[in-house]
Amino acid sequence: MKAISMKNVMKNRNNAAYLFVLPFVIVFLIFSVYPVFRTLYLSFTDYKGYGDPVLVGLENYKRVIGDKFFWRSLYNTVKMWGLNIVLQLGLAFLLTIVFSDIKYKLAGLPVFRALYYLPNLIAATSVAFLFKTLLDWKYGTFNQILLATGIVDQQVNWLGQRSTAWAVVSVIQAWMWFGNSFIMLMAGVQGIPQDYFEAAAIDGAGRWKTFGKITLPLLRPILLYVAVTSLIGGLQLFDLPFLINGVAGASTAGEPGGTLQTVVMYMYKFGFETHQVGFASAIAYTLFIIILIVSVLEFKFIGGKED
Amino acid sequence: MKLKKFLAVLLVGAMTLSLAACGSDGSDATLEGENVDSATVGSEDGEKLVIWTLAKDLQTFAEKYAELNPDVQIETVVIEPADYVTKVQTALNGGQTTPDIIVGEPQMLEDFYDANYFEDLNQAPYNAQDYADQIVDYVWKVGQDSEGIQRAISYQITPAGIYYRRDIAEKVFGTDDPEEIGKLFADYDTVLSTAKTLKDNGYRIFASDAEINYFSGDSAWVVDGKLNVNQARLDYMDLVIDLYQNDYTAYANQWSTPWYQAMAGEVPILTADIQNYADDSVNVWDAEQFEEATKDLDKTEVFAFGLPSWGVLTLRDNVGETSGKWGVCSGPAYGFGGGTFIGISANSEHKDLAWDFLKWVTLDEETAEWWIEKSEGDTVSLISVLEKHKDDENPVYGNQHMYSFWQSQAEHIDYSKVTRYDKVINDAWGAAITAIKTGEKNKEDAISEFYDVVESTYPDITVER
Repeated sequence: MKAISMKNVMKNRNNAAYLFVLPFVIVFLIFSVYPVFRTLYLSFTDYKGYGDPVLVGLENYKRVIGDKFFWRSLYNTVKMWGLNIVLQLGLAFLLTIVFSDIKYKLAGLPVFRALYYLPNLIAATSVAFLFKTLLDWKYGTFNQILLATGIVDQQVNWLGQRSTAWAVVSVIQAWMWFGNSFIMLMAGVQGIPQDYFEAAAIDGAGRWKTFGKITLPLLRPILLYVAVTSLIGGLQLFDLPFLINGVAGASTAGEPGGTLQTVVMYMYKFGFETHQVGFASAIAYTLFIIILIVSVLEFKFIGGKED
Repeated sequence: MKLKKFLAVLLVGAMTLSLAACGSDGSDATLEGENVDSATVGSEDGEKLVIWTLAKDLQTFAEKYAELNPDVQIETVVIEPADYVTKVQTALNGGQTTPDIIVGEPQMLEDFYDANYFEDLNQAPYNAQDYADQIVDYVWKVGQDSEGIQRAISYQITPAGIYYRRDIAEKVFGTDDPEEIGKLFADYDTVLSTAKTLKDNGYRIFASDAEINYFSGDSAWVVDGKLNVNQARLDYMDLVIDLYQNDYTAYANQWSTPWYQAMAGEVPILTADIQNYADDSVNVWDAEQFEEATKDLDKTEVFAFGLPSWGVLTLRDNVGETSGKWGVCSGPAYGFGGGTFIGISANSEHKDLAWDFLKWVTLDEETAEWWIEKSEGDTVSLISVLEKHKDDENPVYGNQHMYSFWQSQAEHIDYSKVTRYDKVINDAWGAAITAIKTGEKNKEDAISEFYDVVESTYPDITVER
């Protein structure tokens, strides 16, 4: 009996559908699944990019753990992500509050939404060169404006000094991504039934009370999504710091003084500049594990009571 | 997210390309991209040779070869140095039968040898060892792997020298004789006192403080698996710092606009404030911006440049009015810079043709003669041709006998100084020097950071602090 029902199931299935997804599955297997496992394997070897990989056990991982420059690059990455997420979410929240306020009833949400999202559509390479030019020490428009308005009395070397370069990258990241967060949060707010806000208004709840007691708790799932995706993207930060201060175009050194060197740049250095593919793979997996742990923590703290 | 989008586009692009390739003949793996410059010469249905190289030179060689051998087709692909190693690795690890000819600069070769990318040229039918005494010794040895097997050969030699202004030498030191001026660059201390004398007379010894880079250190960075920071390295560090802190140079970045301008005559004296190595303040890569920013500064003239023999051509193209007023002498050590080493890919299916081409480029007197003319003065590696041109006078350099000078410099070069670790270690050492000279770190911290970098990048190197 059982065999027959299985047969029926197979028969009833629309086998043509498998044919349609086949191209994707093949490409996915070759370009996503295979590299993931291949990298895991290589991370346990001394592979140099040529010759046969020789298994070395946990050697590469021990080296990652003991490498102060790895931790420095992680610190740089987290620092840049941290400031970025605060600015990005802060700005997005502010805009969400303004646009969702039933008393303001602001018009033109679709227009603003599109405008805020625009920076995200520019390729990171273009953004890097755009800001490199704008923030140029002696000739940059930004410094010229600061000088002309008397805010500073001499040009600030935004990208050349350790104290500001990382913050500049964070601000640019925030500028690129706040529109995205805003759209997410706004969608979340619009999913909250209007009755709650009206009820709150009738009960005399103020703007902050409404936000704290209704908007924020009901936004939690969206917030979680934004935080997790931003973290994953943030810890993989590469293009902007790689391009913005490279002397001959691009550099993994993370000038000034290594303050812009992110984990992925550090990995790139070993994978493509010094041909230690095994070690680079171990860095990739260590980063993966770190992202996994922090994501789980985020789920726990922000996702919280829901489950 | 961005990465995924990028990958998706890349995938779509790759598929389109592969479809397009199938549409044509689909026989060869061809490189596409902005950093690649490919040229095909010769007969369309002849035996095809594919060359992957770093500089345009081989395209010129290929044109001439195809002219002489009309039944051959050659595709020469010039790839940016930054991408070259990765591209060769991908192709050869993947078992690709093209390229037939690959090249390498000295610091790339050790990895290529270990990976067995190059054909063994000592075996029949090549028997390269028979040609050993025809090529300048150090160049021949750079082309050998650790077991002494010939893997690659170069058509040029690249010993370094000090290029100096004869007119300034005459005024300040009372002579322009290369022997005598060489004594002013004999060691790091002397370089420093020469620099002081020149500054006192209103000149600057160098445009940048990178000019003695080719003469830095007289031993390898890594000896028997140990990092080797000897006194010469530390002296070199002190020299660069002294040159910088005493305003002995014109603070121009090597290869930047003012650096080239200094070859032709007066340049503004930049200061650390305008031209700080840590921060590219003035855009020195843009001639117009640079002129605008420096028009009110005092001017000076630069005495010397330190460059390998290919600098003969660089200077010739940039000296302008000062042509004829230059000379070349030895520096504080014997060094060399760059050089294109040519070998046959172990996977090639056209090894005979490849060897014929390689032999023609590197070991043929007529080719060497033609190349000297064509390149207007490149320094070839074939001893017989160097000998033949030893009395050639070069008018740009006050009719100095350049070929015999380079040949004599090349005799002293100890190629075993080159290791695969050099790029990273040199960069880290340079970063340490920059940090000290600009006052960002004290010497102890900077050197300690240098050790950390070497240790973390190459755990197999023992670092003794």
